Amino acid sequence: MASLVTAHNVSKHFGNVRAVDNVSFEIEKGKIMGLIGPNGAGKTTLLKAILGLTDCRGDLSVLGLDPFRQRKKLMQNICFIADVAVLPRWIRVRQLLDFVASTHPNFSRSRAEALLQSTKIMRDSKVRELSKGMVTQLHLAIIMAIDAKLLVLDEPTLGLDIIFRKEFYANLLGDYFDGERTILITTHQVEEIENLMTDVMFINDGKILLKASMDSLPDTYAQLVAAGDGAAKARRFGPISESEMFGKAVLLFENVSRENLAGLGDLSTPSVADLFVAKVKGARA
Amino acid sequence: MIAHQLALIRREIWEHRSIYVTPAAIAVIVTLGTLAALMFASGFAKELDVAIFGASNIAGEAERRGVLTAYFLLFFALFLLAVLILAVFYSLDALYAERKDKSILFWRSMPITDLEAVLSKLVTAVLVIPLVTLGVVVVTHVVNLLIVSAWVAAKGGDVGHLIWGSLPLFDNWLAAVIGTLAWALWMSPFVGWFLLVSAMTKRSPLLMAFMPLFVIPPVEFIFLRSRYFLDAVILRPGKIPLFRSMDLETFFDEDSLHLSENTVSLVAYLDIGRFVTSPSVWTGLVVCGLFTAAAIYVRRYRDESY
Repeated sequence: MASLVTAHNVSKHFGNVRAVDNVSFEIEKGKIMGLIGPNGAGKTTLLKAILGLTDCRGDLSVLGLDPFRQRKKLMQNICFIADVAVLPRWIRVRQLLDFVASTHPNFSRSRAEALLQSTKIMRDSKVRELSKGMVTQLHLAIIMAIDAKLLVLDEPTLGLDIIFRKEFYANLLGDYFDGERTILITTHQVEEIENLMTDVMFINDGKILLKASMDSLPDTYAQLVAAGDGAAKARRFGPISESEMFGKAVLLFENVSRENLAGLGDLSTPSVADLFVAKVKGARA
Repeated sequence: MIAHQLALIRREIWEHRSIYVTPAAIAVIVTLGTLAALMFASGFAKELDVAIFGASNIAGEAERRGVLTAYFLLFFALFLLAVLILAVFYSLDALYAERKDKSILFWRSMPITDLEAVLSKLVTAVLVIPLVTLGVVVVTHVVNLLIVSAWVAAKGGDVGHLIWGSLPLFDNWLAAVIGTLAWALWMSPFVGWFLLVSAMTKRSPLLMAFMPLFVIPPVEFIFLRSRYFLDAVILRPGKIPLFRSMDLETFFDEDSLHLSENTVSLVAYLDIGRFVTSPSVWTGLVVCGLFTAAAIYVRRYRDESY
């Protein structure tokens, strides 16, 4: 499958701090990639490099372009939402649509208008007069009206209530994602995008800890909740993490056959959040 | 590129409504001032009759042109002051506000280069603000002349003879266009500096922009006993090489009973050739270019915006 983003030994240092440390990965066309990492892990720096907002060392290619040096061309095929509050507060909705229509070659004004029809957003309203949720709706309507190959979302639902967050992702999947487009998304609310993602990438201290397709996770990882003898026997298979819950041991395994663990306790596939915590803790140990 | 520039300049006008609100406000003040002056003058009926009679029969066309030109210059000076203040505040805000409200992230998500974005702000400060103001100047001039005409007509004066027949309308307007645009180009190094400060500073762009202007001259004088910075920068506004040298002896020659037409032609006092060939003008443009290039660089490479 064709790669939209190819990173080979990409690094970005700020003085002695290695924000991104020699990472290599590919993002293929038609994927929804979740980039998960704690604060200061290097997510935003990596996204900035992908968006051409910062220069970096190594080979980074996005849609076949050097993102930093060919940013204008790149932006014709990439959209991004960095945060819900970035739309200029002084601008009117109509002006915003006019501006994007006159500067973006892949923007469909009629599509944006159609998407806004289902909202309560008035064309003559200023952005500052809209609620936070409406600002997100507006931003999303603009983004979804752009025929882009790659959509980058950095904490797009930060500060929104649960209804708007659900609506945001529902619209994204229902009206935008068509299997041809690619989405790269970071969020702290991993649970919300867990069912959305086709692929996941963990990053910590500037290094990639995991890159896998969501489909492959059950084959590689298993979570066992066990007590007493079962837990003791399971420990012999070398869990990558262990915690306690209601007096039982919660053990997380990597590349251990489920057949070996069957019968020792309740077996399941770990959530992305649990897997992330295990990987980060493992990396720090 | 041009379509993007037009869209970006339109965006600047949407954001900075003061670009047209300020000249419009001055237009209202000028018009109210004219109305107030006419109402005040109306209180002196006898003197007024004599004045209109005198203007009709005694004063020559050159004198009437002189009076009408002086009237134009008076309110045009107000607009010029507005252009100056507007351009200063606009250029200081242009690259600062977008960082402050983080909207720079949205603007940079569009397929627009930093060069295009900063250039549109420079063009707005050096060209759009002066041109919008000039448009308002012309409209204000016409409106006020109509008001004065109506008033003179109501007092029994021959408007066609006293005002419109002697009016150096296009001379006034052409001089205003040349003067304003030359002034904008002459002051462009300051605009470039303000844009750079606007792109760089984390707070108080006004203070950061003007502080060097106040600090450097005394420091230079104390340590170097020179005043190059004062001469080249602080005193620059008053050194615009646009005006012909006036022969004041001829101007005030008592033997000359009537002013010649040239003496009331504003354009005649402007020396475009001198302006265009002045090394100071070109040096200023180069400095403006360097500051603007630095502002583009800072917008492109600074990392704190995201």
